[in-house]
Amino acid sequence: MRALIPLLFLAAPVHAADGERVQITGEVIDTWCYFSGVMGGPDAVVGSAHHTCALWCSAGGIPVGLLAPDGTVYMVLKMDGDDTTAGGDTSLHIASHTIEADGMLYRRDGLNYLVVEEITADRDIVNATHEDFGVIPGFAIPNSEAPE
Amino acid sequence: MIRLALIAALAAAPAIAQDFSDGSEAREWGLFGEKKALFTAVVRDPLCVLTGDCADDCGGGARQVVLIRQEDNAMVFPLKNAQSAFNGAVADLAPFCGQKIEVDGLLIDDPEIGATNVYLVQRLRPEGGDWQRANTWTDDWAAKNPGAEGSGPWFRRDPRILNEIEQEGYLGLGPDVDQAFFKDWF
Repeated sequence: MRALIPLLFLAAPVHAADGERVQITGEVIDTWCYFSGVMGGPDAVVGSAHHTCALWCSAGGIPVGLLAPDGTVYMVLKMDGDDTTAGGDTSLHIASHTIEADGMLYRRDGLNYLVVEEITADRDIVNATHEDFGVIPGFAIPNSEAPE
Repeated sequence: MIRLALIAALAAAPAIAQDFSDGSEAREWGLFGEKKALFTAVVRDPLCVLTGDCADDCGGGARQVVLIRQEDNAMVFPLKNAQSAFNGAVADLAPFCGQKIEVDGLLIDDPEIGATNVYLVQRLRPEGGDWQRANTWTDDWAAKNPGAEGSGPWFRRDPRILNEIEQEGYLGLGPDVDQAFFKDWF
């Protein structure tokens, strides 16, 4: 019977999670295109190839994530202390950038949630995926930009 | 007591295998690992849930919001609304902060790339209310950007996006890289 008691605690509703101080380096990504495959595979929807679409999605209020080199995605709930992550300026301005972040990590129901308290370094865009994929989606650059 | 403990243990089990498709009228999008999902949930501010940093009205549309699913207490992150124009779901959901609603849409389940409990909401119904499409984002944008000039969809006219592209280019690597790329691209 005593062995069953911990199960009761496991079943209790979770109202808060314990955070973990972390330092994470990763690319600021558009989580919708990355997770859904709507624009193609994960390699095509990061970096310079997908930069304009990442701007659209960030401005459109789609959650941004931090994609670490090991493939882990962290869902960002604050960016550099700014909680306006549903379309706010801070995340928009660093779309596709690789940053070094210091903050608190929370895990719940299979997702990693990251509160970025400080961006300790901004390496700009380092992932030149346009060399392999062009632009994704193809209409990101309007025909009006074609050289004469 | 043993029976109670077993029920509690089952409630604590991961919800990975659960199927929420019964009754769903969600439209298929052909996405990675999409599953139709209709469920009841409470709209919450994830910063409040996880960290105790709570804002009035879940941030009033500025913060992201989550859905705490009634059936299993899972925290589901809505990434997308029903529109096909690069729009999130906060404008549709934040007005129901703290309220119990029904949502219908698509769960994305692709653990290999980290996609678990993420959601596209297509319609929602508050308690005692009618179903409504989750498509308010572009109207919300238009109200906030009455001076956005030009023709075409919002993302071609949004002043903040246009400013970013003007400064850093479509590839984000500067106008010179853009110009060199255009010669091959077009």
